[in-house]
Amino acid sequence: MAPRLEINGLSKFFPGVRALDDVSMNVEGGEIRALLGENGAGKSTLGKIVAGVYSRDQGTVLVDGAEIGTLDEKAAGDLGIGIVHQEGSLVPQLSVAENIFAGRQPTQWLGQVNVRAMRDQAKALIAQLGVAIDPALKVSGLSPAQAQIVEIAKALSRDLRILILDEPTAALTLTETEKLFDVVRRLAGNGVSVIYVSHRLAEIFSLCHSVTVLKDGRLAGTRRVAETSTDELIRLMVGRDVHFSRSAAGRKIGEIVLEAQDLDAPPLVRSASITVRAGEIVCLAGLIGSGRSEFCEAIFGARRRHGGSIRIGGKAIDPKGPWDGKHAGIGMVPEDRKAAGLFLGMDIVNNVAATVLSRVSSGANFSNRKAEALARNFVDELRIATPSVRQIVGNLSGGNQQKVLLAKWLAMEPRLLIVDEPTRGVDVGARSEIYRLLRALADKGVALLVVSSDLPEVLALADRIVVMAEGRTVGELPGDGASEEQVLRLATRYTASVAEVRKQPGMAEA
Amino acid sequence: MQITQPMAETAERRRENLFVRIVRRLADSRELTLFVLVVALALAMSIVYPNNFPTASNMRAVLLNLAPVGILVCGMMLLMIGGTFDLSVGSTLAFSGVWAAVVAGWWGWPAEIAVLVGILVGALCGLVNGLIVTRIGINALIATLGTLTIYRSLTYVTAGTGVTPITDAFAAYGRAADPLFRIQSPFWAMLVLVLVGGWLVARTRFFRQFYFIGGNPRAAQLSGIRVDRLILIGFVIMGALAGLAGVLGAARLNSAVVNAGVGIELKVITATVLGGASLKGGEGTILGGILGVLFIALIENAMIINAIGVFWQGLVVGLVLLFAVSLDRFKTSGRA
Repeated sequence: MAPRLEINGLSKFFPGVRALDDVSMNVEGGEIRALLGENGAGKSTLGKIVAGVYSRDQGTVLVDGAEIGTLDEKAAGDLGIGIVHQEGSLVPQLSVAENIFAGRQPTQWLGQVNVRAMRDQAKALIAQLGVAIDPALKVSGLSPAQAQIVEIAKALSRDLRILILDEPTAALTLTETEKLFDVVRRLAGNGVSVIYVSHRLAEIFSLCHSVTVLKDGRLAGTRRVAETSTDELIRLMVGRDVHFSRSAAGRKIGEIVLEAQDLDAPPLVRSASITVRAGEIVCLAGLIGSGRSEFCEAIFGARRRHGGSIRIGGKAIDPKGPWDGKHAGIGMVPEDRKAAGLFLGMDIVNNVAATVLSRVSSGANFSNRKAEALARNFVDELRIATPSVRQIVGNLSGGNQQKVLLAKWLAMEPRLLIVDEPTRGVDVGARSEIYRLLRALADKGVALLVVSSDLPEVLALADRIVVMAEGRTVGELPGDGASEEQVLRLATRYTASVAEVRKQPGMAEA
Repeated sequence: MQITQPMAETAERRRENLFVRIVRRLADSRELTLFVLVVALALAMSIVYPNNFPTASNMRAVLLNLAPVGILVCGMMLLMIGGTFDLSVGSTLAFSGVWAAVVAGWWGWPAEIAVLVGILVGALCGLVNGLIVTRIGINALIATLGTLTIYRSLTYVTAGTGVTPITDAFAAYGRAADPLFRIQSPFWAMLVLVLVGGWLVARTRFFRQFYFIGGNPRAAQLSGIRVDRLILIGFVIMGALAGLAGVLGAARLNSAVVNAGVGIELKVITATVLGGASLKGGEGTILGGILGVLFIALIENAMIINAIGVFWQGLVVGLVLLFAVSLDRFKTSGRA
């Protein structure tokens, strides 16, 4: 008999990136298959192609032996393929029942929605999952776990054959996760094939039958869960050929600049500590959702902090907002360049001047001359490719935008510079140049705290690597000689121990 | 023939380019576009109505009538540059005017104190707007729609049918005219505000922060700009300006009318957008705003002289607004 889902030679290209490269896999009916991989390995992309969210560029997809042509989300739904997105796809203002039957509500005369029938059907669907949620409730009043279950019920409202779950437990507590797992097991027991996208190893071992590992968009291997180990899976996830060279020259590392202790900024930062010295590059590694960016925001003052202490150059600070962090000499290059970093509609001069308005002024007057001179300096120093300093930043390439963003923070001459994902959406050429810039900064004695999800980047840049998991700093490695495997082990070990806690009955929720 | 043909084509293309360049140039600077339009309109009217338009008394009337909108535009432009706006300005204006009149007319306090009270009441209204928007986090449209109703209601509660007459000393604040042009004080107040405000917003580092806030509020916040505090200050300035406009209006008529400024907010926002502000924020100048006011005033004046009547006014102003905003599509600096 043909497998439920058969994927052959699947490839997907995004501009400048090969997200999936010749991936093949088979999934049987009733099987729970994990898709495992590092951040950016292509696991979500694969799930979204099967669900018709993205189109494929090459390869074939067969469902129960029948080849399927071009697929959109609706066609996939008609085929019995459902997806529960990471972000969620429910309308919070509408009821559970309306969400489940979005666009397909049962009607009575004159096209009126038959509310009673809709609610009854919704209730029956949810009951199939072994849970009770009132279908008349608004989705905005549900817990994240209940919302996930409603999403699954929505997929179930059609004749479901394949269910794709994309990082479903990211926002769930321990008992909620267990409840979700029960639902998934029950579905698989009824013959539904489940593709479970996750990077949490522990969950895979407690839930899945088999696991397919992706690495840089390629198939790294498929194993039966019963016959594999954490070590083997980590080995499959890492070990790439792309390596950026470390700088050979030893740097002079000075006094402690940042000392943050037991920072608590719920829900994402629970207890995080770090020190960064002058002239040192410390990389903050960890899985997505481990609280790295949030930890940095708390240090900078962009996120409310409930506990813990921050010292800059030995002096305690209590930043109430980014202006306080800036005043203490901290700069922060945010992860989302377009939404949080740049003024895309303004020119380079104004973008660079944004953090140093007082320095480019004479008295109360903003001085265009001074601001232009400052911008021109940075355009030369950082080799920003632009026809003029009056160029609108939105018209520059990603790499050059990233350099303008760096310039904006270099202009204030920070003692500590936090850089969140320094090379996201930047091509390889600009990448090594940004590494060069960051190293040059450290050489000048700036303390650098770099958040990165890109392990080769971490290994190339870091003097020291601090690893976060579940909102806590869980380990530290020297940058020299560290391997991707060691970093991943630290980042996942903690989730593994959480899973052990989950198995103990009567354990209170964290 | 074979040689001249391409040359003729090139010349034609150059002429086209010149035309396109002029359009682009005009579209690039809203101030320039408006300035050209205002001058053209004034010239046309001087030619068509030589006996009615370019007379001293008509000019005086036009300039005096545009004063309240002109004063309000200064504040509205600042708010819109910062990506927000205030719909309650008309009610604030009436409320402040009535309070100044109560203090001077009913309580018999000195006119100076009354003027000050009026402006402070306006600033207080602005402060409340700003606190609602920044502290409670209610969207400016809803927040100031609410206070528009509240302030107007408070005006009725304070002075029922208004305060008439106030006092001569108080009235002098709105009636004093310069000896040369004999234009009364509201216009001169507006002129000073436009000049000082124009300089402040265009040149000073403090007010420049509003452009960053409007350009990208999150990036501004993360750049260490105190977004909420500045927006709050913007609302207070807007309120104080509405207070001043209310005081001057009441003084000029020697009467505080409870219906003063009804609907003025839409006129002010029209002039501000016409002057180059965008609802998204980050753009605009006070100069542009005042040119927008001037343009609308001229169109109104043309309608009055022409005896077309006020019914057509809205049509013309609306069309011009839509035309000016659609000119943005030709901007060279914007992305396609």
